[in-house]
Amino acid sequence: MRLNGHFLRNTMEEIKTWARINSPWVLHFNSGSCNGCDIEILAALTPRYDLERFGIKLRGSPRHADVLLCTGGVTLQQADRLRRIYEQMPEPKFVVAIGSCALSGGVFQGCYNICGGIEKVIPVNAYIPGCPPRPEAIIDGVYKLLASLKPAERALEPSSHEYGDRAEVNS
Amino acid sequence: MDILDKIFTLLIFPGGLFLLILGLAYEWVDRKLLAQLQNRIGPRWFQPLADVIKLLAKEEVIPEGVNPWLFIGLPIIALAGSLTAALYTPLVGLPPSHSFPGDLIVTVYLLSLLTLCMGLAGSNTLDRFSLMGATRTLTQLFSYEAPFMLSLLGPAIVVGSWRIADITSYTENHWLLLSQPIGFLVALIGLIGKLEMPPLDAPEAETEIVAGAMTEYSGRGYALFRLAKGAELVVGLTLVASFYMGGMANPLLFLLKTLLLLLVMVGLQTLITRLRIDQTVGLWWRYGTLLVLVQWLGMIIWKGVAS
Repeated sequence: MRLNGHFLRNTMEEIKTWARINSPWVLHFNSGSCNGCDIEILAALTPRYDLERFGIKLRGSPRHADVLLCTGGVTLQQADRLRRIYEQMPEPKFVVAIGSCALSGGVFQGCYNICGGIEKVIPVNAYIPGCPPRPEAIIDGVYKLLASLKPAERALEPSSHEYGDRAEVNS
Repeated sequence: MDILDKIFTLLIFPGGLFLLILGLAYEWVDRKLLAQLQNRIGPRWFQPLADVIKLLAKEEVIPEGVNPWLFIGLPIIALAGSLTAALYTPLVGLPPSHSFPGDLIVTVYLLSLLTLCMGLAGSNTLDRFSLMGATRTLTQLFSYEAPFMLSLLGPAIVVGSWRIADITSYTENHWLLLSQPIGFLVALIGLIGKLEMPPLDAPEAETEIVAGAMTEYSGRGYALFRLAKGAELVVGLTLVASFYMGGMANPLLFLLKTLLLLLVMVGLQTLITRLRIDQTVGLWWRYGTLLVLVQWLGMIIWKGVAS
């Protein structure tokens, strides 16, 4: 009986993971980017790349989103907004940092009004470098993030706990 | 045995599971055709199912300032309304599982329950986008409801009965599409308005007001609303196809008819841009209702002359 319960729970988990991998709805947030990366994200959403093939849809509301696409270094003013948008998303949620500035602050690193990369404010699950990254790179990054949800590769996923601690220190 | 039969009717064949699966399948056809018309490849066949499972497995955030009972209850009522409406309609061309004199009126009201629930769900929250979406949803409800109902009552007048079973057995030999083209057109566009599909999607215009009344819904509530919409799509297409396109038929032929209607709806979605809410109201009250009423007048005069 207990074995059956375990089996049932495992199957449920597998179905949930399958659904999550196949239906990521994204939300796009610009926390101080030069708009280069934003234009590449929009290009990735056009019919030419047709992200609906993978079930990726752009949603306007953080309540519907699973993946937060962040661009740009975080300005002091946007840090609070970024955190609030992140907290409005329901669990499970993932963050993708897109572009050099989102990774580390890029050319704006060290400016008086910049906190640094996205990871200084909220935990990040995947990083996509480039200035700006091509749409193919963005699609590849989101795909790798989703592939990391599969149980066999879960060990590779960065623990959000560690990043959470860093966010506490830096915010 | 009787009880088992009833449970089967309610939960599996016309009522529950079958209708939900058919709703998801129609949603996929809709999205796939739309993608093909936009020169895209489009979603995979299991996409609507994956969306719904993912939403059901997600955390449900109950925002501050809402009535939690209403927030949780409204999606359930909406889904129950659409599923109940299916019991009185000839799904896939089979006779309706329940029938009583006047069930057409009940079905039409059950179909409006979804829109009403969405309007209430939007106005329940404090979010400005939800409130605006709720206002538009209810405005649109008041504009298309009368012409949609009038156009479904056209066949009822011809047959002289308010029973869906009577009407569909009459239309089996009479394609009302030919004798009442205006009613058919108004019913089809009314269905687009009911389901808030483009070009009548001002209530949930994602480029203006995020997701309309659904903005604050996450997880389970949103999934149930999506399922309810899928079920309503099936029930609405079934009603229009059985009233105007040759009644009950062989299930395969009937499915083909509903898919043809869906193709017309998708064509309208791609061809026409979104109407503003005042344009929607104008469309229905200036043209839709008047045209249907003129057709009614013609039908009544013709009936009087013929008898």
